[in-house]
This record gives sequence, C-alpha cells and structure tokens, in this order.
Amino acid sequence: MAEFTLTAAPPLAGHDETFGDTRLHAPQDFAIVSVALPLGGETAAKKAIKTAYGVELPAPGKSVVAKGKERILRLAPDLAFVFFTHAGADAETIVADKLKDKAYLTDQTDVWTALELSGPMARAALERICPLDLYTDAFALNDGARTVMEHLGTIILRTDDDTYLLLSASSSADSFLHAIETSIKNVI
Amino acid sequence: MTQVNRLPGGLVDRSEEVKFQFNDKWMRGYPGDTLASALMANGQLLVGRSFKYHRPRGVFTAGSEEPNALVQLRRRAEQEPNTRATMIELFEGLYATSQNHRGSLEFDLLAINDFFAPFLSAGFYYKTFMWPKAFWEKLYEPIIRSAAGLGRLSMKEDPDSYDKGFLHCDLLVIGAGPAGLAAALTAGRSGARVILADEDFRPGGRLNAETLELGGMAGHAWAEEAVKELAEMDNVRLMSRTTVYGAYDHGIYGVLERCTDHLRDSNGKPRQILWRIYSKRAVLAAGATERPIAFGNNDRPGILLAGAMRAYANRYAVAPGKQIAVFTNNDDGWRTAADLYAKGVEITTVVDSRDKPALLNIPGARHFGGQAVMDTVGRAGMKSIQLTNGQVIPCDGLAVSGGWNPNVHLTCHQRGRPEWREDLCAFVPGSDLPPGMVVAGAANGAMTLAAALSEGAVKASAQLEDLGIKPKGGEMPQAEDEPRDCAAFWHVKQSKNRAWVDLQNDVTVKDVKLANTEGFRSVELLKRYTTMGMATDQGKTSNIAGLAILAEEAGKTIPEVGTTIFRPPYTPVPLGALAGRARGKDFRPYRLTPSHKWTEENGASFVTVGNWLRAEWYTQPGEKGWRDSVDREVLQTRKSVGICDVTTLGKIDIQGKDAGAFLDMVYANTFSTLKVGRVRYGLMLREDGICYDDGTTARMGEDHYVMTTTTANAVLVFRRMEFVRQCLCPDMDVHLISTTDGWAQFAVAGPKSRDLLRKVIDRDHDISNDAFPFMACGHVTVCGGTPARLFRISFSGELAFEIAVPARYGNSMMAVLNEAGKEFDAVPYGTEALGVMRIEKGHCTGNELNGQTTAHNIGLGKMVSQKKACIGNVLSQRPEMIREDAVRLVGFRPVDRSRKLIAGSHFITKGDTASMANDQGWMTSVAYSPNLGYSIGLGFLKEGQNRMGEIVRAVSPIHNTEMEVEVVSPHFIDPEGERLRG
Amino acid sequence: MIIDHPLLGPRDAAEFVYLGDASLIDRPDWQAPDAMEKFHAYGYLRDNPAGEHQELWYHEQGDRSWLVVTRDTVTHTITKVELARDVARGKTKARGRGK
Repeated sequence: MAEFTLTAAPPLAGHDETFGDTRLHAPQDFAIVSVALPLGGETAAKKAIKTAYGVELPAPGKSVVAKGKERILRLAPDLAFVFFTHAGADAETIVADKLKDKAYLTDQTDVWTALELSGPMARAALERICPLDLYTDAFALNDGARTVMEHLGTIILRTDDDTYLLLSASSSADSFLHAIETSIKNVI
Repeated sequence: MTQVNRLPGGLVDRSEEVKFQFNDKWMRGYPGDTLASALMANGQLLVGRSFKYHRPRGVFTAGSEEPNALVQLRRRAEQEPNTRATMIELFEGLYATSQNHRGSLEFDLLAINDFFAPFLSAGFYYKTFMWPKAFWEKLYEPIIRSAAGLGRLSMKEDPDSYDKGFLHCDLLVIGAGPAGLAAALTAGRSGARVILADEDFRPGGRLNAETLELGGMAGHAWAEEAVKELAEMDNVRLMSRTTVYGAYDHGIYGVLERCTDHLRDSNGKPRQILWRIYSKRAVLAAGATERPIAFGNNDRPGILLAGAMRAYANRYAVAPGKQIAVFTNNDDGWRTAADLYAKGVEITTVVDSRDKPALLNIPGARHFGGQAVMDTVGRAGMKSIQLTNGQVIPCDGLAVSGGWNPNVHLTCHQRGRPEWREDLCAFVPGSDLPPGMVVAGAANGAMTLAAALSEGAVKASAQLEDLGIKPKGGEMPQAEDEPRDCAAFWHVKQSKNRAWVDLQNDVTVKDVKLANTEGFRSVELLKRYTTMGMATDQGKTSNIAGLAILAEEAGKTIPEVGTTIFRPPYTPVPLGALAGRARGKDFRPYRLTPSHKWTEENGASFVTVGNWLRAEWYTQPGEKGWRDSVDREVLQTRKSVGICDVTTLGKIDIQGKDAGAFLDMVYANTFSTLKVGRVRYGLMLREDGICYDDGTTARMGEDHYVMTTTTANAVLVFRRMEFVRQCLCPDMDVHLISTTDGWAQFAVAGPKSRDLLRKVIDRDHDISNDAFPFMACGHVTVCGGTPARLFRISFSGELAFEIAVPARYGNSMMAVLNEAGKEFDAVPYGTEALGVMRIEKGHCTGNELNGQTTAHNIGLGKMVSQKKACIGNVLSQRPEMIREDAVRLVGFRPVDRSRKLIAGSHFITKGDTASMANDQGWMTSVAYSPNLGYSIGLGFLKEGQNRMGEIVRAVSPIHNTEMEVEVVSPHFIDPEGERLRG
Repeated sequence: MIIDHPLLGPRDAAEFVYLGDASLIDRPDWQAPDAMEKFHAYGYLRDNPAGEHQELWYHEQGDRSWLVVTRDTVTHTITKVELARDVARGKTKARGRGK
C-alpha cells in the first residue's frame, strides 16, 4: 500500500444546474483520446477503427456513435477524437488495445473540460458566443466543429436536437463556465 | 402641464398615461410616444441649445437623423448624453434633461456666443486665437474645451451589461418600411431564412407616418398585418429597435439591437446587443431622409421638416402649433398641409418655390408660388415668417421640405460611390454596391409607395433566385404612385440673416461660402474646414444642401463637385456595446494551474503570466515583505528541496515515424540522435537566425517525443511547428497535439529531491543516479499506480526532477509532495524564487531571448548545426551576426556589494563618457542572491567572454544612476554542474 | 471576412491567423551555393500587390490547417482557398519531376 494517495479533481466535475428547462452539466468520467492517422497508413488506421468500433471514420466536421457508445469526431483529415465514458487515467491504453499500433494516440482527457448544454434555450444561448451557424440544416445532428467562443478555443458537437456538447481547455474551465452561464442568463 | 398640442387619432395608446420628467418638470404622454412627440404634445418646443452658438433649438425630425433634440437620458450612473429624443420611446418615470447650456435651458449664459458669431465663423480656431501664442495653452484652449461638447458623461461606471452575438441568414432585409416588408414577405413566403431589422420600435417605416392606403387598407394597418404574418414564420427573425450600422466584407453586417432602452429598468438583462450578422444576400430598404432648405433663422423651435411634422400628426397625434405654414420645393410638402388640415390644424400658408398652381386645395391656406421664406421671427418659438415678396405671415409652426435623399449610407461602406439623379435632385446608390447587396424602395430612388412595394418584392425575388430558392408570394397590394415632383432649390439667396445648413454643428450658408472663398473647394475639405456633417448625426439632413451650395458658389454642377461617402456606423454605437462582456475581470479569460486551490490555501500571492495565474511566492507568518518569502524559498530549495508548479510551460506531443527528422528541422540542434529515455535542451531560431524559443524535449519512445516550450510562446511555437509540418515538410509522417493542460507538472528541486520523490514514486521504479541519471526521462507510477512522467532536468541548477501527473490529480499531487516533503522541510516556491535561481545558474529566459539576440550572443553558437536543414541556420551565419566582438551573455556583480543592480542599465567602459556611441551592452536580468548575499545580474556585453574580471560602469539614465560592476561568469552557483548530476 | 475552408466550409476570419505571402512555402535549399542570398530574399523580400495575392492563413481556432488563400487585397474578394499541405506537396512533386 502506498504511503500517499491521489484524488482526482477535474475542473467542473459534478457541475449541474438548470435554468428553467435548460440544463448545463458536466458529463461524468468523460474520456478523450486523440487518434492521428499515420501518413501512408491511413487505410490501415481506418480499417482498425472500423474493426474496433464497427463504424467508418466520418468526414472532417462529422461525428459518429460507435457500437460501444463511443463517439468518434473527425477534426481534421489526419486527426480524430474518440469520446467515451471511463473513470481511470488510462483512457489511452483502452483505445490502444483496440487500435493496436495502427494510429498515434494521445490522452486528451485532462486537456479538456466538457459541458453539455441542453434544452429549449440552448441554441439561443449559444448565439451569443458561438460564431458558427447552428441552424438545424447548417449544423446537423452529430456535426462537430472547433471554433472560438469568448476568446476560448472550443469544440462544439450537436448530440441531440437541442443538445450540444462543448469542450474547452481545462485550465480556463472557470472562464468557460462563466461564459456559457452568462449566455444562458442573458437569454432566459 | 397638459398635452396642449395633442391631436385626435394616431398610433398612440390613449388607454393609459405615461408620466415622465423633462428638466425636472413632470409631463404626461402615451405609450407609443417618443420623448420628442410627448414633449411636443406638452407644448415643450424648446428642447436644447446648439453646439457652438447656443441657439435655442427644438425637435426637427421624427427619426434617427435628428440633429437638434439631443438630451441626457436617465440620471446618475445610467445617464446617457446626446440621446436623440426622436428615438427614445416614452416609458413611465422617464427622466431627461436638456444639454449644452450654462444656467437654465431658457436663459443660457453661453448664448452670448451667438452675438460673437462674426468671430466664430468656419476656421475661427485658426484665425481668432493666434495671438499671443502663450495664451493658447493657458487660456483659449481651456475655455474652448469647457464650452465645447454637447452632453456630459456621468464619470461613473456603466451599471448596464451588454452582449454580443452571431446570426446567420439567407437574406438580411434592412428596414421595415413598405419596400423592406415587401422583400421580407416575399423571402419569408419562399422559405428563405430571413432577418428583418428595423431601427424603429414600430415596424412599418413611413407607412406609420402617412395616410396612404394599400389595397384599400390603411398603410399602418397593412404593415401590422404583414408583421403578424412574418412573426408566424419560423424562418423569419424580426428585429425591431435594431440598427444595421455597417456593411462589412463578405456579407457580414454590424447590427445594434437596443433591448432595454425602452424600459425603465434593464432587470439584469443586457441593455444592448451588438450582433454580427452573416448574410448570403441583403436588401437595403433604408428609406429616405428629408432635407431642409436654408433661409434666415431657419433653426427656431417650431420649424420641422415637413415629413416629420406629418409623422407627428399622423402617427403620434401631435402638432408643434395651432397655425402652421408650409414651405416646400416639391409635391410631397403639400401632403403635410393636407394631412395636418385633415387633423384640424389651421394651415395659414403654403409657400412653394416653384411658380406653379396649387397642387392641392387646402381650405383657408394662402398659396404663394415662386416665393420662398426669407426669415423668421421669434426667439424660443415661432411668431411669423417673412417671404421673399415681403409678406409677413404669422404662424407658430413651419414645415419645410427641400426634397428627399435616399439613405445610401450602407452602399458606401465598401467605397461605393452614389450617383446623382437629376429628376430626384438627389444621390442614389451607384453600381458598385457591397457584394450581395441590392437596394430597394426609397433608398434606391423608388420614391412612391407603389414603386417601393413592387421593388421590394422584385429585388428580393432576384436575390432568392440567385441563391437557388424559388420565390413565391411576391404579389403586393394595390397602392398609389403619389406625385413626387421636386425642384432643385437649396437655400434662399435673399436671406440676410444667418441660414443654417448643419444644425448640429452650427454650420451656416455663409460658412460654406467662406470655405469656397478661402479655397477649401473639394467636398472633403469643405467638410473638414467647416465641420459640416461631422457631428453625431453625420450630416444626414445637411450634407447635400452643403455641397449644393458649394457647387453653386464654385459654378459647378453637383455631380461635378461630387459627394463625400459614408463609413460605419450609420448611427452612433455606444462603446459599451462594442466592448460587450469584455470589461473588468471578464476582459479576457484566465487560466489556473492544476494546483491552484492548494496554492491559494497556502498563502500564495499570484501573478498573471499570459492568461495564467501563477504563484509568485508563498508568504509565511512573520514575513514582512516579498523578499523575505523569496529568499527563504531559494535558500531552502538549495539546502533541501523545493516544489514548484511548472504546468504552464507548453507541452507538445509529437508522434510519427519522422518525428526525429521533423525536430531536427524545427530546432537548431539535433534530436533524431537522442536516445529513447533521454531529454535534451533545444534551441529554436527564427528564419533570420535570431533566437525564438527554448525548452527541453524528451524522447519517450521510438516515434514519440514530448516537447516543452516557454509559457509565453506555447501557442506561437505550436503554430510555427504546424507551419513547418504542413508547408515545409508535407511528406513527413509527424503529428502534433498540445497536452499543456493535460499534465500537471511539478519541479522538485534540491539535494533532497530524490529522497522526497522516492516516497511518492512507486517502489518498482528505480530513480537512483545510475538508473535515472541527469537528462533521463521515463514513465513511472506514483501513489500506488497513477501514471506519471518523470524527467531529470534542472532549471535551478540543483539535483532536480520534473514530475507530471494527469491534471486531474494536480492539486492532490501538490499536497502529497508537500506532505511527503515535511521531513525535509520542503518548501513550495513561486515564480520569483524560480527567477532568482535561474539567474544564479545563468539560464536564459525571455529577458535574454528577447527577439534581438542570437545563439552566438547567448554563448550557444556552436549548438546551431550546419550539418542539416533547420530553421535559421543559414541566416544565423551572416557575418554581422557572428562577429567576434558581438555582445555575449555574462554575469555581473556590483563592486560595492551593498548596491542593487538595475535591469536595463547600459554598460560603459571605465573612462568613457556615457553615450550611445560608447554603449557596450545592457543588463537583462537582476536579482538579489540570498546564497551570495548580494545583487547579481545577467547581461550582454561586447566581447564579454574575454572581459572576465573587468570593471565596467552600469549606467541607467532612466533612474539617473550609475555604478561600477564586475564582469563575472554567468554561472554564479555550481559552475561545474556537479549538483545537478549528483 | 469569411474564408471558405475547403473541408469545413465558410468560417469567420476571426478563427484564423494571418501569416503572409504564400511564397513562404518555397523555402530555399540550405545547401545551394547561393543559399545565403536565397534565404535573404525568402526572409525579407515580398511583393506588395494591390490586387490578387496568395497568402497563408492558419485555422488556429479550427482544424489547425494552414491554407493558401487567393485574395484581392483591394476588394478582399477571395477567389480560391486550398490546403497549404496540398499546395506544398504539389510543389515537392513538381520539383521531383524536374530532377
């Protein structure tokens, strides 16, 4: 038994608040691993993804939900993020076991902080900080994009009709939460 | 006061009364009134004083072009100066005061300026205050400054909040008059995504101000129906109280929405929102603005533009008086006479500059054709007018129409030039419109109702077809083509008294003539010399008359003289709205280190580094100042062990088969040869050979490196590495991703650092000097299995490690390290102690790598490889950059050890005068070394490497000090590096 | 301004960082006999056209791609947007063929 123990305290962990029917909460145990496709090894990497997750790697700006509920978002031609629920600090190992050595992996879990914004006022609130067109036809279900909100780099994903998953740097989690909360308060 | 000037009818809601205060006098109006209409209803025609001459002024228009009726709205911190009474919706308890007078509005002491008018003509600054020279700064300027300006700021923080936002649409329709409504209806019915923005609180534009009918329906009623239909469409967003103030590149429009200005209280909601609208196409339907005719004393309260007087009568059910005269050069002016007569107001006279029969029969009114109003009599109100034929006609209100100018402003925002249309006597939009924009209705010179409606629908349909949307529902109701004949008639030449062109900046016909006489003959110069059109209204009612008079004086046509073009904003945008949320602590985001909570609980003082908040030192009980804390942290670290959160350094994960070759390109030194499990110091150059950034890069696996950058350059280095990857080495298999925030990293430094870490790192990892020597790196686990990375690197010069754990454990790790370190009296240390120790060791930071220095300067010239392609190695070899006598990094200490070195001091050889010519270099970093007991410094000195032991002078003209300093090695502590290898 | 990203569609220029002339892709050979002169030109000499200009923009608040944007410096009209990596690869291939 080690003499000392570490406790995990991700920023915004457990955050959950409602504004009428609109809810802002931090998903629990939200693991992120980046998957880079090797130059010249793209086909092998895509095949490995298909074998491991049962889905095709989507086009840049699109995400897909895999059989094990993992979500794969393609951010760039040679880069995708895999999101899944996992509590430990070994998310990278889990993806590595699936993809073997067909792609370059980096644990991104602690790089980001995630907030899910859902409910009837979600889009109106995002209009105040998100430069992207979030109209249904322009930003369809499972679409994802990296952009900037209130000076903070943010990944936005549409996971349901009125539900958006927002990721931003974990070090500025307080500013990020404040920006989203202010947007909600300004529209409700 | 009672509403003496209230007429029957109108679009105000008479079921309730609204009480408000003007200059502390209580008055009443109705919902639907503006402050201007309510003041007029209460007989308050005098509402302010003019800018320069302090002339009594009243409401002149019924819209955003208002030059005169500027008031201070609200009070205390909420007070807002220069607010147009014509745009303020009346609300219960509204409080407004007039501005620009000393003493009361009625008896303004500065009205004396009016008597000095002969001295205050255009350019008076340059002519009057010439002599004596010394008086300018001490006397003239302070007096002018105190007298100038319109309203006053509260000088208190704005208590309201503001917001910003982003909207997207297929078609942006600007203006909700007949053309705009027709365009929006057509586009909405066709299924396009439409935004309809209108500056008024009641959509409809002139339909609300006229008695014109559409398909047998009152215009305002049709507008109401149209708005109702649009409101029910999901694809249409209606934005009233919203001004499109600027047309920017690629269909982006700047838009200001006034959300709570019409309410007594904002209730915590943003007062205004600055929207950025991304439109695929736009229809500008901004309508037209009426212009006055200049004649003697044409600025008295009670003189209004004819269209405005009609709007007040029809929409707000008020008139400025009981006996109204009309002066016009066009058919439209006659409508004012007819509409007011229909409301029961006596029309005494219609004066038409055109010598033709009466257009309409106005019972009781005398018609003077081919005549003009030459002068007016009254002071704070109207008593009579004098015609060019000598007739004096009593009246208490005068409606003036000089024709209408299409609102072309937004068509000019990308340097479009309006074109003159002789039949309208006005400028209309030219052909060089902002891409994606078309213009419809009066803004395009389609001046009649029928033309405006049909053009709105037709232009919108064309825009939709352009976007591949099939237009439908563009049929508009029947409307009339009302008579619009207009004659070019700008000012009354027979007038002897001053005739105002620009009411807001007090520019007269004489000023314009003077400008021409004195040679300021281009419109741009006219504007700047007379200040015409440069007030908050940007000359909406005055510009055309001004340049028409200039043309006349210069013997040219108006198209020959040309027009000034317009820049954003169309109407003023408050700075608060431009700032949005970015004020106070919300000015920019902040970043916290993973151990922030522990750090805060343990007495840290914080410093902002970029956006990061870092501990600068930890105060212990009994410490009197920061130096006490920093000295203790340094001494204890060097004696035993210290712990510092260094998470803020940039971390970049680099993977790929070509990762090593890629790093060889990025760094001046070589990394492909680095063994797995080892770290190397790396220096990056700019392409010009100047040092860019430095840090350590660890090889964690065959295809896997982890780079650290300086805190300040993390983003820039990543950007440049992506540039190298994509643009210079596109065929390399290499991938970059930032992990700065992912790992909480701690420096554990000092002779006891290994002992401390042994308590935390799981026992199966051997960190002895043999197994884990200086510059080793590897994966370990801590506290029973948590993955971690360990690096044996040292910034302090001590035996030291950096240990990284997933950021979620960072706060806990900081606590554990300090807890485990108790038996060694371990200390947490901040950025100041870090700085002292690196100066003691002679390591460079941003002070030394300041964008002016080379590897040669910092003594690392040999590190720049000439055996491979890398950024900066070619230009770094330019002769001037590798001179033998170049400045070199060396250490300094004061000859008198009790003195404190000053960073920024320049070095002068003993015996030389302290001049630029004798400059030998400069001091970059200084610190008090608690280990040595005196002040030490680093700096660049010419040929410094050959001058050890020399005494030079460190001169600081800024501090007016100089002292003698000794040139020493930059490595003050452990120059042989025995400690860090121990 | 709006840059029509070849993969992601129209994005506000605020998401991008501007670098400069796209000729920065054409980095000289460090071993060329006149390398010093070539790097001098590469580093310091730029055309400053009033009109069509090819320039590098970095989608920092996006997919981190470098783009070659063909823009009219007078009107801001953008006529072409390409991935810089594709442009750079095309040039490498062209050079390869030349040898």
